[in-house]
Amino acid sequence: MGTVVTFDIYDDEGIDPDTLLPFLAKAVATLHRVDKVFSTWKPDSPLSRLRRGEIALGEAPVDVTEVLENCKGAKELSGGWFDPWRLPGGVDPSGYVKGWAAQQALEDLVGSEVGGAMVNAAGDIASFGGPTSESPFRIGIVNPSSPTSLACTVELRGAIATSGAYERGEHLFNPFTDRYETAFASASVTGPDLGLADALATALVVGGEQVLSLIEGVYDYEAMVIGHEGAMKWTTEFPFAN
Amino acid sequence: MRRSPIVIAGTLAGLFGVLGFHTSPAKLNLGTVGTAGSSPTTTSPSPSTTSPPTTTSPPPTTTVPSTTPPTTATSSRAAKSKTGNSTTSTAARTTTTTTRTTTTTVAPTTTTTAASSAARTATGPLVNYNFGVLSVTVTLTGTKIAKVTIGTLDDGGNFRSQSIDQMAIPQLEQQALQAQSASIQGVSGASYTSAGFELSLQDALKTLGFK
Repeated sequence: MGTVVTFDIYDDEGIDPDTLLPFLAKAVATLHRVDKVFSTWKPDSPLSRLRRGEIALGEAPVDVTEVLENCKGAKELSGGWFDPWRLPGGVDPSGYVKGWAAQQALEDLVGSEVGGAMVNAAGDIASFGGPTSESPFRIGIVNPSSPTSLACTVELRGAIATSGAYERGEHLFNPFTDRYETAFASASVTGPDLGLADALATALVVGGEQVLSLIEGVYDYEAMVIGHEGAMKWTTEFPFAN
Repeated sequence: MRRSPIVIAGTLAGLFGVLGFHTSPAKLNLGTVGTAGSSPTTTSPSPSTTSPPTTTSPPPTTTVPSTTPPTTATSSRAAKSKTGNSTTSTAARTTTTTTRTTTTTVAPTTTTTAASSAARTATGPLVNYNFGVLSVTVTLTGTKIAKVTIGTLDDGGNFRSQSIDQMAIPQLEQQALQAQSASIQGVSGASYTSAGFELSLQDALKTLGFK
């Protein structure tokens, strides 16, 4: 995957690195383990072997089954717009796995009892707590038409994922037209779990307004989109910061 | 209060992590940047504003107790009163756009020019991103970021890398400037080279006692 993951740890009382390091080591090990299992770049990863039909699902690590089950749920919630089974090259849950991995790493830090933590997987962020015990994390969302600026700021409780084609070109696949195309320039989804937020953001940027309507009905998840012409739309409870 | 930044980087291809410790409220110990920034991560560079213009970051001191895959961590806690905590190791690149093999780059070459009102510049460590290696140089004037540039960029010279660099890096430079103006702890967006850029930038800022 080649993604950099940043850990930001906050505590009003200060942090003892010696206490935190074991938790951090566990979180980093989690990221490496996920990469090893789910990399589509490594020909020998269990996922790559599954894609080639060399092993059955039952022979892959149990994480693979869990992730594909969760992907199935995300596919249903998104009306089929997030569909790892419709991608060119065989089943590819990467759109879910990056967020899921960061969420798993975050959970490794919970036991350290720090006041706030963010795990930022190159722009997709899982978090608990805040920068102080009295304030939530404030996260800027990049303006897709001018990535030199921020479109808005959110008060984060949980996770946020943003999808868009503005940095990588048209790489987002539409499972209903079999083409690489996007309905919006950028789509951000907030909610308790970064894996699902990541999958829904991918579905939303490809599927457009109908997916925005679907997310309106998903408990605890909110979304905001920025159109190719710059118009913004959002679900009713999207947590804009003042 | 402990506020030591720690950089953790894995040597396995793919994911690797970087850690910032933050305590709140924000306090900075460098006289020349006494009120800089609302984000509470900081190192504690020498408080002397008349210190010699060049300091060198301390060597790595700790290894994280990790099993597999190989992971190294560097704690700069023992050196909290010194300028510079730049450390990095790199993950093997998993893309196939260049043929260069990955090397571990530890670049403790940070320099700080300290003067109370003069511009101060620091360069972050070399960081691998998907298509090459880069480092970021930051110039502070007083408490404001005056300039963010790419200090080193080696993209292997291949066309695809260059086109991505040309498109993304100027944007990222501006993004860093924008992010400074809002009181935010993070940025969410579609990203590519931004991670490597941010990694090096963060370290350069920490070296300057900023953020």
